[in-house]
Amino acid sequence: MSVAELKDRHLAATQTVSALRDRLKQKRLLLLDTDVAGYSRSQGRTPVSFGPTDLVCCRTLQGHNGKVYSLDWTPEKNRIVSASQDGRLIVWNALTSQKTHAIKLPCAWVMTCAFSPTGQSVACGGLDSVCSIFNLNSPTDRDGNLPVSKMLSGHKGYVSSCQYVPDEDAHLITSSGDQTCGLWDITTGLRTSVFGGEFQSGHTADVLSVSINGSNSRMFVSGSCDSTARLWDTRVASRAVRTFHGHEGDVNAVKFFPDGNRFGTGSDDGTCRLFDIRTGHQLQVYYQQHGDNEVPPVTSIAFSISGRLLFAGYSNGDCYVWDTLLGQVVLNLGTLQNSHEGRISCLGLSADGSALCTGSWDSNLKIWAFGGHRKVI
Amino acid sequence: MSPEVGNIVVEERLEFAFAMEYHGPPITSELPRAVPINVDRIPVAAVVSQMPLPDKLSLPVVQPILANNLTKKFSKELKFLGSESNFLPINVSPTSVIAFESPNGAVIRDESLSKELASGSEITVSPSSVYAFEERRPGNDGCDLSGELSSSLDTHYPCGQYESGELSGMVDRSNGLGSSSISHDHSRELLNGVGSSGPLGFSGSFEKSRELSESSRKMMISRDYKGSLDYNNDLNKPDWASNESVISVDYPSSRVSSLKVADGCNEPGCDVKRAPVVTFCDIESEDEDSNDRFSRAGPEVVRAKKEPAVRVRKGACYRCLKGNRFTEKEVCTVCDAKFCSNCVLRAMGSMPEGRKCLSCIGFQIDESKRGNLGKCSRMLKRLLNDLEIRQIMKAEKLCEVNQLPPEYVCVNGRPLCYEELILLQSCPAPPKKLKPGNYWYDKVSGLWGKEGQKPSQIISPHLNVGGPIKPDASNGNTQVYINGREITKVELRMLQLAGVQCAGNPHFWVNEDGSYQEEGQKNTKGYIWGKAGTKLVCAVLSLPVPSKSSCASGDQFSNIVSHTAPDYLEQRALQKFLLIGYSGSGTSTIFKQAKILYKDVPFSEDERENIKLLIQSNVYRYLGILLEGRERFEEENLNDLRVNQPSSEDELIGRTDGGEEQTIYSICRRLKAFSDWLLKVMVSGNLEAVFPASIREYAPLIEEMWSSSAIQGAYKRRSELEMLPSVAGYFLERMVDILRFDYEPTDVDILYAEGVTSSNGVACVDFLFPEPAYEENFNSSDQHDSLLRFQLIRVQSRGFGENCKWLEMFEDVRIVIFAVALSDYDQFAVDEKRSLVNKMMLSRKFFESIVSHPTFDQMDFLLLLNKYDLFEEKIERISLTKCEWFDDFHPVTSRNRANSSNSSVNHAPSLGQLGFHYIAVKFKRLFSSLTDRKLYVSLVNGLEPNSVDQSLMFAREIVKWDDERPNFSASEYSVYSTEASSFSH
Repeated sequence: MSVAELKDRHLAATQTVSALRDRLKQKRLLLLDTDVAGYSRSQGRTPVSFGPTDLVCCRTLQGHNGKVYSLDWTPEKNRIVSASQDGRLIVWNALTSQKTHAIKLPCAWVMTCAFSPTGQSVACGGLDSVCSIFNLNSPTDRDGNLPVSKMLSGHKGYVSSCQYVPDEDAHLITSSGDQTCGLWDITTGLRTSVFGGEFQSGHTADVLSVSINGSNSRMFVSGSCDSTARLWDTRVASRAVRTFHGHEGDVNAVKFFPDGNRFGTGSDDGTCRLFDIRTGHQLQVYYQQHGDNEVPPVTSIAFSISGRLLFAGYSNGDCYVWDTLLGQVVLNLGTLQNSHEGRISCLGLSADGSALCTGSWDSNLKIWAFGGHRKVI
Repeated sequence: MSPEVGNIVVEERLEFAFAMEYHGPPITSELPRAVPINVDRIPVAAVVSQMPLPDKLSLPVVQPILANNLTKKFSKELKFLGSESNFLPINVSPTSVIAFESPNGAVIRDESLSKELASGSEITVSPSSVYAFEERRPGNDGCDLSGELSSSLDTHYPCGQYESGELSGMVDRSNGLGSSSISHDHSRELLNGVGSSGPLGFSGSFEKSRELSESSRKMMISRDYKGSLDYNNDLNKPDWASNESVISVDYPSSRVSSLKVADGCNEPGCDVKRAPVVTFCDIESEDEDSNDRFSRAGPEVVRAKKEPAVRVRKGACYRCLKGNRFTEKEVCTVCDAKFCSNCVLRAMGSMPEGRKCLSCIGFQIDESKRGNLGKCSRMLKRLLNDLEIRQIMKAEKLCEVNQLPPEYVCVNGRPLCYEELILLQSCPAPPKKLKPGNYWYDKVSGLWGKEGQKPSQIISPHLNVGGPIKPDASNGNTQVYINGREITKVELRMLQLAGVQCAGNPHFWVNEDGSYQEEGQKNTKGYIWGKAGTKLVCAVLSLPVPSKSSCASGDQFSNIVSHTAPDYLEQRALQKFLLIGYSGSGTSTIFKQAKILYKDVPFSEDERENIKLLIQSNVYRYLGILLEGRERFEEENLNDLRVNQPSSEDELIGRTDGGEEQTIYSICRRLKAFSDWLLKVMVSGNLEAVFPASIREYAPLIEEMWSSSAIQGAYKRRSELEMLPSVAGYFLERMVDILRFDYEPTDVDILYAEGVTSSNGVACVDFLFPEPAYEENFNSSDQHDSLLRFQLIRVQSRGFGENCKWLEMFEDVRIVIFAVALSDYDQFAVDEKRSLVNKMMLSRKFFESIVSHPTFDQMDFLLLLNKYDLFEEKIERISLTKCEWFDDFHPVTSRNRANSSNSSVNHAPSLGQLGFHYIAVKFKRLFSSLTDRKLYVSLVNGLEPNSVDQSLMFAREIVKWDDERPNFSASEYSVYSTEASSFSH
């Protein structure tokens, strides 16, 4: 078979694929008769309303000297780990707003951090392409620095995101700039599976974010610069279970809906979307027109404990609270008193849903809580 | 504001001029006389003698009050909140009582007032305020006052008059605050366009604040108690604190915000609180122009001690206002505010700089509390756990703001600068517990002491800090001198006990090791601290002896920076260079070269071991490629043979007995087996896993293989093997050595080796430029430069593609060094669309995307054109026009170019140089079309240490020059133009 012949066949195959994809899209549009907002409106639902003191900033965590890039809560105790461009991980006690650990990293360009389910260790990753694990209980060296307890190396690009598999301290899923995701065994330090990559049907650009299904920890979803999100089964590394198209820009953030049947995405195209993993449909687009033509990218998203609210951080410093049912912005944290002065780069909800933590490029983290007698939603 | 007043304001709006001469009628009234104010009596308003007023000026009158106990009457005033609010366009604060009482009493007590104001003008009243009042003068027709007073803020006279007119209805109100009318009047002034009621209040209140501090404190307190409830709408700064505390009990941090957000006008007020000088200004800071007024006052009070924002009863918590002096409290290290255990966490937040209340974060600590830094109180220990305490104390001790301000330390009569202080603190034997104060320092011996006292310590000698030592530094009177300092009696005693001859008032020259000479003599007479007994004597006399570390000094100068310096120092002095380039542009070589150049130990043992394995596996890989090539060549040859066999049987090179066909590329069976095995391993991709074990085993085989003619033949045709990188030759030729078990890679080997810097992600190296010898002549200024440390960050271009998401992490770099391999112009690579593109074009595309990235807006760029050696050789063979970007390259070649190589006298540029300049200009044009700025270009050859050194020096110069640019005029720095010699074609 000559090269020319192969090329022709490749071309034909690509055309077939794109044609099929188009047909699929058409079919989906045909089937999608309404979105969540339309349906709820028809059901007479009214948006959540927020009073001025319903969500207030109750703590400011100061201590970083650089842009905060990532944060994560512990599942049970009220602790937060945050990663910043000053090359430090800081573990905070969210109640007293004090630091408990300040970990100096060997590579300052850190992009992500995660708390282990037991709260015993933290993981971080960045441009050094390595995911480093720190055991918070290990003794510090003579300079007062916490030593790295495990290096998970193997990615060929930066580590953009990492998350511990719920309920076990031994496994971790990372996403990387080398277009793959990885499942790691921390005890051995080896990569058990690689999701995507050269010969597999994976992402075709940098993977920026992962989120593990809370109710079924074998499933996780990843968002990538190829403007798709993919659903993976950790037992089947060879191919993605499903690919979700729809975004017109890099997918910066993915987060599973609390019930585990849906997930949300945030993208450079300024929209957040809600996808259903069972049907593969896009359920809702969350987008608000800004006055000027600028479309600030979504940097990070988080769902409230019930899923009724979607918190989305934007690169212009806004942080919208969306009513997921009606697709309306019910609050903008960026306009509240005491809000951040820079881009909001990361968001996270505490495990009981009572507080939201935002991290910003103004080097501060803020904890927002429901004030007054308002119940947690 | 009442309507009448408004009208008047409109009528009186005049054209004002600056400092108009006074032409009015002569002054009829008595000149005010200064009378000292009795401190324990608050001056109050007395009956206003009705002054004749022009008819059209129907002005409010303030009825006199005998408010000798203001605090009592104060409460009265609360009733008039309502009237006040419609009366005054600007909020009258209750505290204005203090400030404006004086004008109220103008009629009676104007003598004292004028005195006050006269003296008040000594304080920094901004000049504009003076103008302001002078402007106003033509407006007050009735009140003719001494022109001499004009400069000393005479505006209170009209005030008094206006008051008397219309404010009469407000008597009770002004009972409480004699001043409200005044501030009303000031509001008129404001409307007149003068807008400087502030300064008047400022100077006046300042003066007052001194004299009446006692009573004012009472005022404040009382207000805090009563006022906090009633004045909610009054929006006065002193009040928000208490207001606030009501609202924000649950969420401490909202407290700060309300401070900032609640009222735009409030903000200047908050600033003001930091300095006692302007403490009372917030009284009327509602007016807009107070903003700039405060900013003017700002610089003077930067170092002033910060006052707590809230004033409370003695002993109470500053936040909840509860408790007494016996409740345990934590003190803010800046402003003295004390908080009880319930409030401390809310008032101090996350304590990023230790124990400071939220509004004090970022301010210098009170020097008297320096000793307490890092010493935790019991209360905190009870509130927080050990880890948290440790972090707070660490932050408190090490954060930058809490460090000793250098100008507070005077050494030999000269305040230190920042770098000197660092030098002092980071030396091997730094002064212990350095506190602000005056010190003397004997640079030769390292003796250190407080000015006017005996030495207290021996620190590292030869530090370049402070001025030269003075003879009377330690205030000695013994006539015996050590290194030009007259020593004290105690020292003399010690010298005598140490057996030093001190007869005849000698002048000694003592070195850091204790050896001493008499001045003007060459021979060392002995060692002061040499005897065992001397140290004992010193201990008895409490004189210092050299510490061990300072004895072993000498080379501490060179590695000052390698000392463990706190983080804030590291961050401060670090200049970051970002090195990027398209893959294959040689950034890794440049990086390694920099490491070898500037580091004493460029690669650690571990690293070397890894590199060794890497090089060895690389060599195996090269060998594999070569063997593959050999197979291919063999096959081709055999095919050729078969084709040619019938006709040219004789050309067969050889034929074995077995009848097997052979070519020059054939190898014997044993080697063949090895070759097959190696290829198989390589295909399966686990070369790394196998090879360390195989090294010993196959070493002889490798040697044999390399010497076989087949491999050599294939090696000769290596240019046909695309997979084989150009550096492979370097290693393959030394293969036998390299694959030995005891092989140690040399620096050059490492330089050539591929993949040493982690093939993806980032690598960074901190370095100092080695100081050239001549720089010793330049002193202090260059020494500060030498403290500048540099960090070279090398980023792998892979994964950049269309998204440069993580480029924004590098916004703090000083310069971007972009490397381009010159020799790429005829090479092709596969881009992301899987089409074959010229590598130079890929480089260019990458360059464009980096340059136009928003993160690097206004960043300096240095283009390094790398691999000049290859380029020079290549351009002779392959035309530069092979790359479509360079299709207009038509070099002017001299006719005698052929022999120009040996007739170097005419300096005809070689084709390589022409090509370099051409490409440089191409990139410059591209850069300026994208950014309108100038691109710096340098030629580099990554394999040559000097060229890398020079280009990094160049980068440093660019950065340095960039810092100094504001100092040069435009014409001056055009001299530094870095335009590559003008190139025309």
